[in-house]
Amino acid sequence: MFAAAEGEAERTVEVGFLGTAVYIVVVLALLFLLLSFAKKGLNTRVFKNYWTSRFEQLYLFIEGMCVNVIGAHGRRYVPMIITFWLVIFFGNVVALFAPFSPTASLSFNLGLALTSIAYVQWEGMKANGIIGHFSHFAGPKLGGLMALVISPVIFCIEVVSELMKNVSLSLRLYGNIHGGHEAVEKMNALGHSIYVPFGEFLLPIKLLTVVVQAMIFTLLTCVYLSLVTAHHSEDDHHHETDSPHGAEGVAVPA
Amino acid sequence: MNVIGLGLAALGCGIGLGLIGYGAMQGMARQPEAINRLQVAMLIALAFVELVFLLTVFVGAPGLKG
Repeated sequence: MFAAAEGEAERTVEVGFLGTAVYIVVVLALLFLLLSFAKKGLNTRVFKNYWTSRFEQLYLFIEGMCVNVIGAHGRRYVPMIITFWLVIFFGNVVALFAPFSPTASLSFNLGLALTSIAYVQWEGMKANGIIGHFSHFAGPKLGGLMALVISPVIFCIEVVSELMKNVSLSLRLYGNIHGGHEAVEKMNALGHSIYVPFGEFLLPIKLLTVVVQAMIFTLLTCVYLSLVTAHHSEDDHHHETDSPHGAEGVAVPA
Repeated sequence: MNVIGLGLAALGCGIGLGLIGYGAMQGMARQPEAINRLQVAMLIALAFVELVFLLTVFVGAPGLKG
């Protein structure tokens, strides 16, 4: 943490692939430990175990988010979404106290984003069929000459936008967590001459970032899921106008 | 010059985030029963504004070292 203050100007933490793997193992061990505590309290009546009830609260929160954003059929996607939430949250918690963390490395975040978008495409294919899913990219049904001219252009733009979703998801997480580390090092260097680690005063803000970033990643995954599975609900043909769900009205670029 | 540009980017991002927060707060104060829906939309909007600034940092900040 105090590496930046040792005279040389720029020195960020470099751990390489092996170090990243070690930190991933740390995060997963933490996750499995807490989940094994929670699993002990499972029963068919009332959860009295501390960890079980905490994870139940988390489950209800994620389920509420899915149902709010995706709709009534959103309950099906809760396992994947809650897995993303837990991995990102515990990665961020490790980032609070350790100089490095999986979510502060661009490769791990890109892997998470690729998994998320691949899952979204898979669910879209399952909901609409392969042909239906890819024709969804081509925009509204046009007739005659317009279908030949406009639809391929829209299709290309939509494919690029799907690919850019990976970049935006991973860069957002990486920028927030890695940027937090950089800011802490810069502020530590500021107070180095009087031996005050100013960077640690950023801890409350980073604590906020931990939850918000985990939530934003899963929320965006939910929004992408709601966009590709919108056909699946009861209104079959006019899903883009007057949708009953709040988040579908939000314009979603990239 | 790069530092000024980065500062300007931060200024724009701050104004954008402030506008989103302003709108969301006002909406929440007028309609407390819509808070859940407003929070979801607000977080999504915040994420997109923040992403623009992060992209600026990744494009602009490596130039600061030289």
